[in-house]
Parts: sequence; C-alpha cells; structure tokens
Amino acid sequence: MKSLVVLTMMCGVAGADPVGSGSNAGVNERARLEVQPPGKAIKQLAIDNPLGDVRVEGYDGTALQIETHKHAPDAESLNRLRISLIPNTDGTVRIMTTADGGPEYSSLARGAVRIDVVVRAPRNVRIDAAASSGALEMMNMDAGGELDTASGAITVHNVAGTLSTHTLSGAMTLAQVFGMVDAQAVTSDLQLDTITGDRLVASVSHGKIAGRRVRSRQIELTTTDGTIVLEAEVALNGKLVISSISGDLDVKVHRHGPALVRAKATKVDLGSLAATPSANGWMSVAVAGDGQPAAIDLQSRTGFVRFAFVQ
Amino acid sequence: MAELCTHVREQLSSYLDGELVGDRGTLVRTHLRECAACRAVSVDEAALRDGLRTLPPLDPPAHLWANVRAQLEAAEAVEAKRPSWRRLLARAGDAFARNLRPIAVGTALAAAAVTLVAWRAHRDAADGLGDGSAIASVPAPIKAPVATATDTVDVTADLARESARVGSEYATAAAEVLALATTARAQWSDTKRASFDARLVELRTAIADAPDARATRRGWRSLIRYVQTSVARDDLALADTGGTP
Repeated sequence: MKSLVVLTMMCGVAGADPVGSGSNAGVNERARLEVQPPGKAIKQLAIDNPLGDVRVEGYDGTALQIETHKHAPDAESLNRLRISLIPNTDGTVRIMTTADGGPEYSSLARGAVRIDVVVRAPRNVRIDAAASSGALEMMNMDAGGELDTASGAITVHNVAGTLSTHTLSGAMTLAQVFGMVDAQAVTSDLQLDTITGDRLVASVSHGKIAGRRVRSRQIELTTTDGTIVLEAEVALNGKLVISSISGDLDVKVHRHGPALVRAKATKVDLGSLAATPSANGWMSVAVAGDGQPAAIDLQSRTGFVRFAFVQ
Repeated sequence: MAELCTHVREQLSSYLDGELVGDRGTLVRTHLRECAACRAVSVDEAALRDGLRTLPPLDPPAHLWANVRAQLEAAEAVEAKRPSWRRLLARAGDAFARNLRPIAVGTALAAAAVTLVAWRAHRDAADGLGDGSAIASVPAPIKAPVATATDTVDVTADLARESARVGSEYATAAAEVLALATTARAQWSDTKRASFDARLVELRTAIADAPDARATRRGWRSLIRYVQTSVARDDLALADTGGTP
C-alpha cells in the first residue's frame, strides 16, 4: 500500500484552462498525465475503454505518459465521462473509462460521446487492452500483450513478446511481430506481415487471412469460409498447417531444407511438384534435402488448394 | 431535416411502444403536434404496426419447445454438478446485481478516490497543454463519435448490456460452426466423435463456470476454434496415420 500511495503522489499533471469549442460539434476535453513509479517498475498496463480508441506506443522511458481525449455534446455530458487510473502494488497500472448514469441523469446517447486514450509506455511493459467499437493500436512494444475488441479494428506494429488478439468484427492487422502470436476473429479479415517466432496460430470464421513474410516455426491458420493467402518461410523441422472448411488456400513457401507437403481439397494444384495421390484422397510429395523435413499440411474440405515453393 | 425531427424519429418506435415516459414522451408528443412531417411518419409507422397485429399468429415449430426444454435440463444438470459454494456464490452475485450494486459501486468509487489521481483537464485547448513536452510527439486528434447501431441508446444502459451482447454474438458464431460440425461428425469414427463430444462438454462447462465476462468470451473463443479446427482438419489425422483416426 505504501508504494501505491507513493506512486500516486508521484503522478504529474499537465493541464490548462477550458477554452471554446473545437472543430467537432460539441465539447472536447484533453488531459495529459505522466505516471512515474518511484522505485518499482511498471510491469503491466491494463486499459479498458469501451467508449473509444486506445493507442499504446512504446518508448525508451520509465514513465507512463497518458493522454485522454473526451468528446460530448455539451459540458454537462462531458462531466459524466470518467477516466480512472489505478496503480496496483503488483506493478500493474489500470486505466478504465465509463460514463455516469442512473435515474438522476438524463439519457445520453452512446453515439454522442467518446473517450480516446493514447499512452506512451516503457517498451518492456505488457499491454492488456480492451475496447468495444473503438480501435486498438499497439506499436513499438517488447513485452507483448492481449488486445480484445468487439467491433473495433486491431493494429499491431513492431511488437515483440507473446501477443494475443481477438475481435468479433474489427479488421485485424499484425505487422512486424516477433514472438508467439494467437489471433482470432469472427467476422473480419486478418492481415499478417512479417511475423517471426516459435508459433503463429490464427483463425477467422467469416473472413480472409492474408499473410506475407511469415517465418514462425509453427504456423496454423484456419478459416471457416474465408480464403487464406500466405507467403511463408518454413524452417527445418517446422510445421505449417493451413486449413479451411470451405475457403480456398493459396500458399507459397520458401524452404531451407527437406519438406513433406500434403494437400487435400476438391481441387489441388501443387504446381511443378510431382505429387502422389493416396487412397484417402491426400496428395503428397516429399522434397529431399539435409536435415529434418518441414511438414506442410493443406486442407480445404470444399475449396481449392494451390501451393508452390518459391525461391 | 431539423435536428429535433431526427431525434424524434429515432425515438418514434419506443414512443409508439409506450416505452417513453416522463419528459421524453412529452417531448415527442409535443413535437408531433407541431410538425406535420413527423406526424405523417408517425401515422405511417402506427398503421404498419396495426397491420402487423392483424396478421395471423405463426405457430412455432413443434421441436422448438423440446429444444428449449432440453437446454434448460442441460443447464440444470450443469448447475447441479457445481460445488455448493459456487452455487451460493452465484446466488450472492445475482443478489448483488439486483440490490447492492449501486451501493457497492459508490463505495468502491469513494475508496478509489483516495488512490486515484486527480485528473486535471482542459477543454479544446490545443495550444495550451502546460509544457506538454513529455508526450508532445503523440499525434492524436480528438475524434468525433462514430455512428454505430447503438448510437441512440443511452450510454450507461448500453455499457451495462455490452458483455451480454458480445457474449451473445460469440454464442451465435459458435452455433454456426457447431452446425457445420454436426454434418461433418457423421463421417468421423466413433473414437473421434467421443473425443470431440467430451472436449465440447469441457469447453461448455468452462463457459458456464466462467467467473467474469472476459473469461466467458475466452471460453467461447476456445470453443469456436476447437470446433472450427476439428471440422476443417478432420482428415489431417488420416494423412498422419494413413487410416481411420
């Protein structure tokens, strides 16, 4: 508790007086705050903002620099928008937003209010962020995190560490991620660019997965009915499992050694590879080389599979 | 169209349903007296509702109640298997939600106020942010709210329903993929079917026992992914073994 109080006391606030309205209709309010831990480093930042966007950007410092933007139709409504900052003794700092409500308040349309949160955080802080229809953006961080939205977009750029991202219907873009990745969406597209690490697991129900420069040792991509287009690199003894219930698969792979390719779909195109059909409907081909072979499995129950090795 | 007209038309459905009470109802009523265009929209809407009411009732399919009953029984069975302390906790949670939440939230807020930072702010002062040097490089313009389906719903009411709504959408997505599994599993071996069913029970139990909304969503995601991969890849094991999985 002592450290909690000290931490709170160390918070610095930058502010200014209210002035007239800005370019947007209604009233805007910005606040800036710097949270500097006195001794114990911040390990995790948890942000729960159901009222707008969240952006977290890593930097080479030790303090959290938080900027919040509120928007409401009028000053009275603006005063009902709350942002809480709760530092915990375990090294977690939590930011939460909400709106005051109840019988004593008049109705306030959800679409009329907004809170956006922008944080610059030390790179080694793990991020745990949740939003509703707002976007989640995370960049230049080294300790991974978990991002969860209902319909907001998720964008991750230049992040290391274990990363977990989920959305119901927001578009998801993960670029330059170095570590284990688990991405899941229900009704949206997933874009992957330059993913490196031990494992990449991604699934989409109704949407497309497009990946390029994917170099994870173990790659598992699954869709229910969306297309998967992938350009990946398989390591020695690596594993690539690309499957869909009814979507088409288009996979190009750079290999560094032997590989065993197996594919099954209503139509399989393995390019110049001389594949051998088996009784159970799988086409397979083994490519010789030194070392443990990479396993490449491709399956679409009712779609097409197209595969090629590229130089 | 005037802003008031837009507002009134958004509220019209609730007004005709008798859901607007107090000042909100009076506002709509007064406006309809004064605005011929909105009155016409209101008359049309009311006529449509009257027409719908005259349609013959649609009998639900015979299996509907059987399904509902089966689900209720399954839920009861799951509930009965939970340890008594968990059931007690759940009941206490329900009581909390019904009666004590406003008080508890107030108390929690009061307690939190001791530890929270006083968040001083400024309104629309783009050039007056104190020294601002610490985060001057963060380019983040204030965004106007983006219209959504829940645009006109009261923000606190909508936030309170958020978890249930998201959970429901995950449940719908799970139902879709489970329907695909129902077709696919006919081709599976008995062993694979049994394994699949057992895992499904585990995943459903995890959802039912989830301590909070976030864990519930996590549970739904696990279930969706498991079923999805089971259906999409059910032949990969064949390739591994060269035979029946």
